[in-house]
Amino acid sequence: MDYEVIVVGGGHAGIEAALAAARLGRKTLLITQNPDTIGRLSCNPAVGGLSKGNLVREVDALGGEMGLLIDATTIQYRLLNRSRGPAVQAPRAQADKSAYAAAARLAVERQPGLRVSMDTVTGLVASADGARALGVVTERGRRIGARAVVVASGTFMEGRIFIGEHRAPSGRLGEAAAVGLGAWLRAAGFPVGRMKTGTPARVKASSVDLGALEIQPGDEERRPFSFMNDEMPGPELPCRITYTNERTHAIIRANIARSPLYSGDIVGKGPRYCPSIEDKVVKFPDRDRHQIFVEPEGLYTDELYLNGLSSSMPEDVQEAFIRTMAGFEEAYVVRPGYAVEYDYVDPVDLYASLESKRMRGLFMAGQTNGTSGYEEAAAQGIVAGVNAALSVAGEPPLVLSRADAYIGVLIDDIVTLGAKEPYRMFTSRAERRLALRHDTADRRLTPIAMRVGLASKEREERFRRKVEGMDAVRELLRARRVSQADAARDAAFAPHVGEDLARALADPRIAELDVEAIEPGATAFPREWVEGVVLDLRYEGYVAKEERLSARLGKLDAARLPPDFDYAAVPGLSAESLEKLSAARPLSLGQASRIPGVRPSDVALLAVRLAAGARGGRP
Amino acid sequence: MAKGYLDIEDDIAAIATAPGAGALAVVRAAGPGSVERAARAFSRPDALRALDGYRAAYGKIVDGDGRAVDEVVALVFRGPASYTGQDGVDIMCHGGRASTDGVLSALEAAGFRRALPGEFTFRAFYNGKMDLARAEAVGELVAARTAASRADALSRLSGGLSRELAAIKASLVRIAAAFALRLDYGEDEAPEDIASELPALREARDACLALADSYAVGRALLDGSVVALAGAVNAGKSSLFNRLLKDERAIVSSQPGTTRDYLEAELDLGGLPVRLVDTAGVRDSADPVELEGVRRSRLVAGGADAVVYVVDATAGLRPGDLAFVEADPAAIRAWNKVDAAGAAPAPAGWIPVSAATGDGEAALVAAVRGALLGGASADASALASGAPPISARIGTARHREALLRAAASLGDAAEAVEADEPVDMAAVDVAAALEALGEITGETTGEDVLESLFSNFCVGK
Repeated sequence: MDYEVIVVGGGHAGIEAALAAARLGRKTLLITQNPDTIGRLSCNPAVGGLSKGNLVREVDALGGEMGLLIDATTIQYRLLNRSRGPAVQAPRAQADKSAYAAAARLAVERQPGLRVSMDTVTGLVASADGARALGVVTERGRRIGARAVVVASGTFMEGRIFIGEHRAPSGRLGEAAAVGLGAWLRAAGFPVGRMKTGTPARVKASSVDLGALEIQPGDEERRPFSFMNDEMPGPELPCRITYTNERTHAIIRANIARSPLYSGDIVGKGPRYCPSIEDKVVKFPDRDRHQIFVEPEGLYTDELYLNGLSSSMPEDVQEAFIRTMAGFEEAYVVRPGYAVEYDYVDPVDLYASLESKRMRGLFMAGQTNGTSGYEEAAAQGIVAGVNAALSVAGEPPLVLSRADAYIGVLIDDIVTLGAKEPYRMFTSRAERRLALRHDTADRRLTPIAMRVGLASKEREERFRRKVEGMDAVRELLRARRVSQADAARDAAFAPHVGEDLARALADPRIAELDVEAIEPGATAFPREWVEGVVLDLRYEGYVAKEERLSARLGKLDAARLPPDFDYAAVPGLSAESLEKLSAARPLSLGQASRIPGVRPSDVALLAVRLAAGARGGRP
Repeated sequence: MAKGYLDIEDDIAAIATAPGAGALAVVRAAGPGSVERAARAFSRPDALRALDGYRAAYGKIVDGDGRAVDEVVALVFRGPASYTGQDGVDIMCHGGRASTDGVLSALEAAGFRRALPGEFTFRAFYNGKMDLARAEAVGELVAARTAASRADALSRLSGGLSRELAAIKASLVRIAAAFALRLDYGEDEAPEDIASELPALREARDACLALADSYAVGRALLDGSVVALAGAVNAGKSSLFNRLLKDERAIVSSQPGTTRDYLEAELDLGGLPVRLVDTAGVRDSADPVELEGVRRSRLVAGGADAVVYVVDATAGLRPGDLAFVEADPAAIRAWNKVDAAGAAPAPAGWIPVSAATGDGEAALVAAVRGALLGGASADASALASGAPPISARIGTARHREALLRAAASLGDAAEAVEADEPVDMAAVDVAAALEALGEITGETTGEDVLESLFSNFCVGK
């Protein structure tokens, strides 16, 4: 074997996969079409956002790279949804795009045990029976052996770009598609399909009257994404807001037939949650304007990103409708918006470890699995990399549950339900979202990283200090009794006299107060720890309610099903369930119960079988 | 996934003995919290809580309002030394539907869920109380019975009911989407205040409550109701029974206390299937046989869906009569023997009838029907005239319970929004409401909610 793990692709999934495998001691090769493009942010110049910020923090808590990269290259930071509850708050940072990619490239290049090679993978090397991946074949005819292969091809696998009537075989504007691997997978029987995504035009900042736009400032206080960072320095560049108007919409309507989306040229399914501007205009004709966020692409570029204006209309149309917006009358388009269509492999073909069901040793991550988003890609990347490394070592895979992490929700969703459109993480997809707050990612996942071996000594030490510190804060609040004097000072305390403060904090009126003023002992601890404890106490009741609602989730997910379980031998199973279960081969009763078409009574029958097996009966 | 066999931590209860008029019946309860829950429905809660396994306590089952339903013997099991392997309580009560249904309802009020077919046996296997050979039989039973009950449940969903449920579900999914919008998109993209959903939340809650209220009507139609005749000895209950039945089933005699036990018969009361029960007269007696009859009559009256209290117009109101109608203000008051010489005029609230001539029978029947239909008299007359029912009705306690849970969760959500709790907290209650409704209409998946979000709201940068 030349390598133990080969990672195909140097995007956000490939980076995490390659780093994780190498950090777990596996001799790893990252193959990319161009090392200069490692870690590129192909679309918006931002990392994080609702539920995506949680994913970044989870990747970080597992020992991943994304949090460190964005912390180092931020040009604006915001905690979203301060006015809403803690479960729907999340950090988002604007990135200096070129600095981000450079930092990513450097992290990969400096990682011991990880090599980078410039080439294009056109096929896999498989065992004679096709059941095991043994390496890759490249464009230049190289055969490179490995015990595990992670495919993270992004939008490059048979990528095709659309701008009005223009078509080009590219994965990103100006970058060649990776031709060959998609065809190889199709020929080998993998369920390969087409998906589509899009990006807006970039315009020259100095051609825009920025003074005419509403400014959207960042937060003064920045909380790093990475648990390893205490601060997040860096410059502050404002984002701005403008709006489309009836004239914009009129131009789009007049030219709609020239959109490849509406001419029927694009067969891939696009994301509903990130519609192109032409989609928004057609689907919501009553809206007289749409909000457009104007975001800087970085410190050393004059390009602006027009968030909300994704389009694949012809370039002249794009420039015309952009110029209808206030401040954009003279705007000059540097790069047009475009749509890109690419091959993906239906993720129902994967186990929750992200290993292929049809080919052992083959893992897939990111847009290859029909997801979208940098954060979603990184989340799968780290899991695929860890599991590729564990499979080489002959160890059982790391599978995060829906109750553990957004990562668990994401992977369970795609491997159970498949991806019919580009899958994006949403807060509402997580049943246990109150427990999956972004600020609890380290508490939830760092113990797992420690077990797997991805947490550095320094991380372990910091983590131990934080856990002990939060315990101490909790003790402090428990020991502090609410007194008559408190009630005299603030009427909110009146109903709680005699209670301990930890208990009284469930009352929103108390939780609003400054805890450090009530219990000065708390000032000895970092503010973030105190806030974490207060949030835990404040929402305990709701978290318990949420837990009751999804109690079954944990129990059923804990009941493991072997991948080779013989469903045909279970008496009484309905024909439909038998077919669905045999095809999906779920790894837990919970996953089985979520497969569309599998009946609850059939899940009960499986439970009987499992219980019998566990007691030494016939499995 | 709706509530099912795998919710093995749920406390469940069901009537364990075959239906019929045996002297005794058993209502079985099991689950980790079953003893505590049963204690809450027991007149001597601490006595029950204190029991070791295979020990029994005597007491009364009391319903949610604290009224005694039946005198019972409760036998406690402590897991794993029990049939299911979990804690459990077998409640031995009086036979007959009025009594067993009353006990089961009281247990439901204490938080028990009705057991699914074969669910106790399923748990027994699950907890290793049964070998595989027997368990496979159970498995087949579970599969077969679930299929049967699904078909049954579907057949219960009349066109009108499924339309109303679909409407409630649609509005709930839209509300859930409005919450999801605020969960999934930032303030700058989805800026509206969630308080704008308050009217929709309240409307959906009221719709759930209204449909739950139709349970009385639905049950009366589907299962029939028990109507008890009560009253002093010789008030003419048996004559009235025969008048309503139009045959000579009861032994009518002018000797007080002739009806020593109780009699019952099925009849069609203006389109409603009714089991009419003639109880023994209420009076102090030394005759032990009759005493037992009087005791059982009181029990039957306590478990009946409607009680007709009969008074002899020639004797007038006696203290015992006043005590009865005071204790049961919902009782329909029949002023009998108005044709007889010396009959006093009926006081306000009493329906003048004559079992002998049939005078006033129509008014009495209308009153009984009104009571059974929960005041839905317009519907009742539509029914009598053979017209199709106006609105949908639910017919099972399970449906009613699910609707009440959905309504309660929607109420909680509205309260949380009003109290300015963050939107993600109130969203938990909306999810709970959707899940409860899903037990009747089928599950709502996250995809359904997102679908509604994307089609109703313009989002995405």
